[in-house]
Amino acid sequence: MAAAVKLAGKGYDVALIERKEELGGILDQCIHDGFGTKIFGKALSGPEFAGHFMDEASKLGLDVHLNTYVKSVNAGGDVKELVTVSPRGVERIKARSIVYAIGCRERHPFEIKVGGTRPAGIYTAGMVQRLVNLYGILPGKRVLIVGGGDVGMIVARHLYLEGVESITVVFPEEFFVGLPRNVQQCILDFNIPFRPRTVVKEIVGKERVEGVILVKVDENWRPIPSTEEFYPCDTVIFSVGLVPYAKKLRAIGAEIDPRTRGPVVNEFFESTVRGVFAAGNLVQIFDYVDDAVESAYIAADGVEKYLAGEGRLDNPVPFKPGSNVRTLTPHRLEWEDERPVVAFLRPAVEGRAWIIVRGGNGEILKKEFRQYVRPSTLERIEIPREAIDGAEEVYIDVAGV
Amino acid sequence: MSLESKVRKALRDFPYEIKFEVRDGVVFLDGEVETYQEWVEIGLAVGRIKGVEGVVNRIRWKGYPKEELKRKEERRRKLYEENKDRIIGEYDVVIIGGGVTGTAIARELSKYRLKVALLEKATDVSVGASKANNGMIHPGVAPKRGTLKAKLNVRGNAMYDELARDLGVKFKRVGSLWLITPRTLQKYRRYLPGPFYKFVSAYIFPYLVKLKGMLNGVKGIRIIRGEGIWKLEPKATREAWAAVYVPSAGILDPYELVAALAENAIANGVEIHLETEVVGFIREGETIKGVVTNRGTFLARYVVNAAGVFADEIAELAGSREYTIHPRKGVILLFDKELEGWVNHCVTELRFPAPAHTKGGGINPTVHGNILWGPTAVEVPDKTDTSVHPEEIEEILERYREIYPDFPRHRIIRYFAGVRAPTFTEDFIIRPAKWVKNLLHVAGIQSPGLASAPAIAEYAVEQLRSMGLTLEPKPDFNPHREPIPRASEMSLEELDRRIKEDPRWGNIVCTCEMVSEAEIVEAIRRGARTLDAIRRRTRLGMGTCQGGYCTLRAAEILSRELGVPISQVVKENGGRLFNGTVRGEEP
Ligand SMILES: Cc1cc2nc3c(=O)[nH]c(=O)nc-3n(C[C@H](O)[C@H](O)[C@H](O)COP(=O)(O)OP(=O)(O)OC[C@H]3O[C@@H](n4cnc5c(N)ncnc54)[C@H](O)[C@@H]3O)c2cc1C
Ligand SMILES: Cc1cc2nc3c(=O)[nH]c(=O)nc-3n(C[C@H](O)[C@H](O)[C@H](O)COP(=O)(O)OP(=O)(O)OC[C@H]3O[C@@H](n4cnc5c(N)ncnc54)[C@H](O)[C@@H]3O)c2cc1C
Repeated sequence: MAAAVKLAGKGYDVALIERKEELGGILDQCIHDGFGTKIFGKALSGPEFAGHFMDEASKLGLDVHLNTYVKSVNAGGDVKELVTVSPRGVERIKARSIVYAIGCRERHPFEIKVGGTRPAGIYTAGMVQRLVNLYGILPGKRVLIVGGGDVGMIVARHLYLEGVESITVVFPEEFFVGLPRNVQQCILDFNIPFRPRTVVKEIVGKERVEGVILVKVDENWRPIPSTEEFYPCDTVIFSVGLVPYAKKLRAIGAEIDPRTRGPVVNEFFESTVRGVFAAGNLVQIFDYVDDAVESAYIAADGVEKYLAGEGRLDNPVPFKPGSNVRTLTPHRLEWEDERPVVAFLRPAVEGRAWIIVRGGNGEILKKEFRQYVRPSTLERIEIPREAIDGAEEVYIDVAGV
Repeated sequence: MSLESKVRKALRDFPYEIKFEVRDGVVFLDGEVETYQEWVEIGLAVGRIKGVEGVVNRIRWKGYPKEELKRKEERRRKLYEENKDRIIGEYDVVIIGGGVTGTAIARELSKYRLKVALLEKATDVSVGASKANNGMIHPGVAPKRGTLKAKLNVRGNAMYDELARDLGVKFKRVGSLWLITPRTLQKYRRYLPGPFYKFVSAYIFPYLVKLKGMLNGVKGIRIIRGEGIWKLEPKATREAWAAVYVPSAGILDPYELVAALAENAIANGVEIHLETEVVGFIREGETIKGVVTNRGTFLARYVVNAAGVFADEIAELAGSREYTIHPRKGVILLFDKELEGWVNHCVTELRFPAPAHTKGGGINPTVHGNILWGPTAVEVPDKTDTSVHPEEIEEILERYREIYPDFPRHRIIRYFAGVRAPTFTEDFIIRPAKWVKNLLHVAGIQSPGLASAPAIAEYAVEQLRSMGLTLEPKPDFNPHREPIPRASEMSLEELDRRIKEDPRWGNIVCTCEMVSEAEIVEAIRRGARTLDAIRRRTRLGMGTCQGGYCTLRAAEILSRELGVPISQVVKENGGRLFNGTVRGEEP
């Protein structure tokens, strides 16, 4: 929505395609507050935040195709063709440029090799949010939540308030990895029990979950022998991370970064397929919707440059994660432009730190101090073009102090 | 030597006092041992004896679930008493079990003028071993020569082209490739010095395998070497010295097959009763008169026992316990469709003798483009133990990485387990019961039970004929069944045409597998009552995200089509999808 609104505002002819029956993506299931603190300076609920963009879209008279599934895309040439499927039929849409903003999927228990049986009673956090918020049904009575991130905590509070009989949250880290504000407001304020350094080894139950076998883990998340314990419950909710839904981009030949698991992009969020841009959680998981929106705005600027046929650098400058950086976007600098480059990175360390931008020979191009960084919070840094001028490659490090 | 003395001799190898009794070739064992593993070994030792037609192993081990079995028995008896007097109908044949064996027999019988009922205790057909296997249609090289398994496997394999065509089931003869590597004859290395080891491995052993296959009646087996191997399987290990290629090996989707068999049987007049559990029999002398279930009694002239891992219990209830099943679990890992093309044949590394836990396993593609690794083979006391332990996942990953060293092993999207139903004689047991007149055993249907299924059905019907059942062909038998069309597979023109007729074809519910609302509705129309039944028929939720997105929407459609509140929608059997309170309702 953000990319579409921005591009329509610039006067382009934009179609917005959405497979669900309404706009808003995952925001419509996030009825908690905390959205828009950067853009609007206040904490809105997910639907309120989405509502802002929906209003903009209708003001601009955007051509919105709801209930429309993009089946395949031919992105090879200057004119790209999308094949869509909707209750109206199969349609072909031609476009000069495409912005993919198809978000992410939730990691499921099979990806973290949880053992045991596979009965009813196992959910992902997003599924539970939709179930409770959109359908008004609780998943079960005695709940175990796996994952100590923001989503897990938010779901724990929600189910507590909805009146389930019991909840416990387990996670392999030393402490919750989500925002401190969420630890306070979702867990501590309600005395919700939690167990750090604990994971689910196996699920027990034939038709319905009857419990789980919990096991303690060491600091490398390796199970500690003989610490298994049976925990009775009828519901296990996994909140173990989000993964960019990159298969559609892979299908059109875009390169994928194994670290972010999203597409490789340049500074205007253009994928390795020319004229195909990516924004939001499809590129990497944004903790704040505001940052996701910014990525969409930048992609919209990129579309503008692409359509205007603006110049690209003769020698693109690779951006590489340096020490203590888990993921980094963009992956390269490719366009001629004046505006500063916005980079997003996920630190591998926690605490006070410097974010250091340096060239291939170690020369420091820019430094910024942060009071508190941590792996679960995406850091944003603006790098002026002048600072990078002449560099053959750029590294970003995080150095703890 | 008499059978008795052979048994006595075999039991001498075990440090226990085991009592036994032989009746009509069936050996009954009694006694007590330490471990379950010993229970298995003793049974196998007796089962191996020539002339033994069945082993009933009543030996107890430490941890024998006595209380649990007693509860099970009491529950059955109670249901029996409550339901035995309620007559549901009168049938020529009642089949117990809705796996591939039962449904194949049902369809075979539907060719004749007969009144047939198939009873299945679960909420769908194909929920036992038939839903949790590799979907391989083995060529028939592996089974021992002269066994029923060997005969029916080779014949069953040959029957699949026509059967799959008739039933509209996807079937591909991808061929299998068995690699011979430096590990193949490892156990014999010390007897084969220097270059001799490679020579025997690469130039003699493959011909022995080929010979074995030929003697079983398998055609077209070829030995290939060097580039020939990597032309077929470019990413297979470069260590391979030779490979045995068997072109007739095939793959199919086992639950699609079972659903198709069931639908076609129903179309030809068979009644399939789901959620109908057999709890006992009404007998008059040596003849079964009625099959008692939780829903009432089915009067029957003939009864077919195709109850998979529970076949021994059914035999016992009927009064002709001639074998004990020792459940053998197999774990399988499933990889993302995006890896399609990584493995094109059913590939494995031959090991002689086979390692205990992964006997018979390998890597094979599925008809939908996923890749399977496994299965394992582990003896488990619990017939319903389909748990997967993290160690088992690692074991499979370790075992097969050797044949595909660069395979992206992290792209597992699911794992599952099935339980095979071997008896101690380890062959299929398809024969009239010894001590009941009108019961046919179709038991011990372990691997290659799927590959053999069409031939098992044919053979079982022949047995029924020999037991006195009159088979009068039905001129209006219709062998054809139309598959559920798939939006993901049809041409855009066809999809567009269908959407114009019914817009639900354009409502894509599952994004990973591109399943439309129309397919879900059609699956329900054809009998799916649960989420898992829909998954098996449409592939909903079977992709990369494993139902994270589509589960609720599918539940909504099920609720609407079945006319039940969404909170009552079932995943499978007794498991409701959601267990909590509904806003606005009393908890
Ligand atoms: C539980 C939870 C809590 C959060 N809490 C906060 C918070 O408190 N504060 C905050 O600032 N941020 C929060 N976030 C983060 C923020 O909401 C997200 O980063 C942001 O909403 C991502 O938006 P998106 O547009 O990238 O993806 P999405 O919202 O997922 O949108 C992707 C859209 O693409 C559509 N689509 C997918 N495939 C196709 C196809 N083939 N054809 C057509 N359409 C398709 C989907 O239907 C979907 O509507 C939270 C996120 C979650 C999950
Ligand atoms: C891991 C694994 C991998 C395998 N791979 C292959 C392969 O690649 N190729 C191959 O050919 N074979 C393979 N097999 C073997 C194959 O799956 C089986 O031989 C076959 O599915 C057996 O089918 P069945 O119908 O006899 O048993 P099942 O499918 O188990 O069906 C028995 C049915 O009887 C029902 N039942 C039981 N008790 C009662 C009762 N009291 N009342 C009513 N109903 C009852 C059960 O609910 C069940 O549905 C594999 C097996 C496993 C476990």
